[in-house]
Amino acid sequence: MDLLTALLGNLAQGFVVAMTPVNLGLCLVGCLLGTLVGVLPGIGPTATIAMLMPITFYLEPTGALIMLAGVFYGSQYGGSTTAILVNLPGESSSVVTCIDGHAMARQGRAGAALAIAALASLFAGTVTTLAIAIGGPAIASVALLFQSPDYVAVMVLGLVAAIVLAHGSLVKAMAMIVLGVFVGLIGTDVTTGEQRFTFGIDDLFDGVGFVPVAMGLFGLSEIMLNLESRAQDGGLARLRDRLWPSRDDFRRATPATVRGTLLGIVMGILPGGGSTIPSFASYSMEKKLARDPLRFGQGAVEGVAGPEAANNAGAQAGFIPMLALGIPPNAIMALLVGALMIHGIQPGPQIIARQPELFWGLVVSMWIGNLMLVVLNLPLIGLWVRLLQMPYRYLYPAIIVFCCVGVYSLRNSMMEVVFMAVAGVAGYVLRKLGCEPAPLLLGLILGPMLEENFRRSLSVSGGDYMIFLQRPISATLLAAAVLLLAFVLLPGVRHQRERLRDD
Amino acid sequence: MAAALAAGCAVIALPSAMAQAFPSQPITMIVPWPPGGGSDIAMRLVADAASKRMGQPMVVVNKPGAGGTIGLKEMASSRPDGYTIAMVATGAVFAQYNNPNANALSDFEPIAFFGDDPVVLSIGAKTSIKTLADYVAAAKASPGKLRNGNDQPGGSSHVAASLMERTIGAKINKIAYAGFAPTVQALLSGEIDSATVPAPDISQHHKSGAARSLAIAGAQRHFLLPDVPTFREQGIDFIAGTWRYIAAPRGTPADRLAILEARLLETMRDKGFIEKARAAGFIVEPLNRADTAKRLVAEDAAMYPVFLEAGLVRARQK
Repeated sequence: MDLLTALLGNLAQGFVVAMTPVNLGLCLVGCLLGTLVGVLPGIGPTATIAMLMPITFYLEPTGALIMLAGVFYGSQYGGSTTAILVNLPGESSSVVTCIDGHAMARQGRAGAALAIAALASLFAGTVTTLAIAIGGPAIASVALLFQSPDYVAVMVLGLVAAIVLAHGSLVKAMAMIVLGVFVGLIGTDVTTGEQRFTFGIDDLFDGVGFVPVAMGLFGLSEIMLNLESRAQDGGLARLRDRLWPSRDDFRRATPATVRGTLLGIVMGILPGGGSTIPSFASYSMEKKLARDPLRFGQGAVEGVAGPEAANNAGAQAGFIPMLALGIPPNAIMALLVGALMIHGIQPGPQIIARQPELFWGLVVSMWIGNLMLVVLNLPLIGLWVRLLQMPYRYLYPAIIVFCCVGVYSLRNSMMEVVFMAVAGVAGYVLRKLGCEPAPLLLGLILGPMLEENFRRSLSVSGGDYMIFLQRPISATLLAAAVLLLAFVLLPGVRHQRERLRDD
Repeated sequence: MAAALAAGCAVIALPSAMAQAFPSQPITMIVPWPPGGGSDIAMRLVADAASKRMGQPMVVVNKPGAGGTIGLKEMASSRPDGYTIAMVATGAVFAQYNNPNANALSDFEPIAFFGDDPVVLSIGAKTSIKTLADYVAAAKASPGKLRNGNDQPGGSSHVAASLMERTIGAKINKIAYAGFAPTVQALLSGEIDSATVPAPDISQHHKSGAARSLAIAGAQRHFLLPDVPTFREQGIDFIAGTWRYIAAPRGTPADRLAILEARLLETMRDKGFIEKARAAGFIVEPLNRADTAKRLVAEDAAMYPVFLEAGLVRARQK
């Protein structure tokens, strides 16, 4: 009872801070900007927050944080919009939303997909906000239980689950994962400082960026395929009689949203988790749990709801270790730590006690911001869908221009644009060959993290491989990976998969 | 004769008139690191404050990549007219030996030194080590056993750990992490015994008791960790960390360098600026051109043997 009173008191304090006109205004500005950069492909929240930093020198720290946080979770909403409409992931976390979201759009259900994405995000945002309010510091300490071998086990499980991502040939899916891991090898090796496969080109020293590859593989290759198949020059989508999801959509989307939210919270807390990996994981899980996995890739509403919930939950859960431990789990949280330090505030265990107005104000503002985003986004759905009816000959050059601008802005470098172009051609060829790009991207994300943590585990253990089995977390997760692999490779299951594919 | 004299005067007067006018357009400050990091925040603070004194806006442009090499190459190959300058950090000393594409430090004309970001040796709460003397004794008793978290070979924290090994005369097991946040996380989770990271990354955990900072590798104590003595105070002559200075391409006219130097030093010596930078965790200790150049020679001489030992000298040899 005391706990509840304390919680209500804290939330009340948060409301007082978050509802001041200035902070409400900053929250709205952040959310609007976030939606905008989310919709514009390539221009990500990281660059936007960085550009806004000098402005925050002149703001109150709480207001500054509320605005910058709004940009971040706002971009999670916006990112799904282009993914669904034109198969272009606005952010890396909306890559999987492309698969079924865009399939829904092609069937004329773009409005339903957008609405489900927005509502799933709102649900995830609400639950995550509550989770932060109730158990922030306690949840944060989970991150401290994870050491390098445990991350290795998480990555292995993730790569095994990635096979499930593909909706075609198992062999091709595995080949794509391996290809992704290979691309991930390019760059400077963390353990030794050696350069690998860089051919002396400076722009390859830091590896091939995820965003240009994702935009090329999905977005540009989609444009090429569209131009090839499109004899008539109509719009992309037809307008159905209703924009709102059906009762059946809601029935399917609800459990997926709940599962995606939980997954997002857990994975978002872990360093390197962010919002991308939870969205992939949620998609794999939904496909595995579905009674008819064949619908996935053909416009399954669970494939939109789960990942969208997961990426929003992951985005907001990242605030837990940042605020409560002072350890930023990803680049964006590191930026926010920087923004706080400019004001002389050090995030960490004492922040809740010493700066309660900042902590609770932020928590409550995140919930208000999520509500604002849904109110902003639902009426826009009609507009977005109308955009798709624009003749394609006007739409695709605009998309390409936005992609180039966005990718250039990542590092102010022309090489990123070149990477995107190369990935676009590669994506076109791969899709012609019937290879899915999603497993490749997962390999590209997980491969380098897997290698780094694997080698680090061995240097910590002095070369003893038993370290992976001695730690309870890694042992459990590795066992789960073996079971999952056995399940996928089991003759009966494989037979069924192949039979289903032939249907 | 009079006409010739007048013409001659005009020729002499012209450059100084131009110098008077400098800067007459915005100055680009290249930060060869991504937005939001320590270098970016430091330089945005400088640019913000210096714009008022220069009478022209100073615009920060991030050109990250290849450990700073890409951005510095852009600065070094830009027109040496004083309108393109850049921040150079510790990593540039390493890059010139490791990366054949990188510029040598001699390609940059130092303008002013910003300050040091010394590393702090910290230990996890679970180890039995209590003091720096304990740490040195433990390292000597079982060489290569103590696990220290740092960045990748060639990075400032790895170089610092290597220099520390040489100074105390004992080997430790240097474990590489991609950045300071994961290093601190590993220290708190008990994966490593110690870490060598800058003060702003660890001070919070030292205060909360989750980690304990034993010594700081600076000339003085750090305002974020006033209770942590320096290595020198404890009888070990060891200074290491990251430092930053501002430079222009080689060949920039001396009068323009002098103007930039004067304005930047005024900016960085301003009380208000120092306070602002302090709040963000930076020690501001500006040096003029000559002293910066001297400092660079000393740093270069100290670090080279470390790179050589790690087998990372690829490009130029000394």
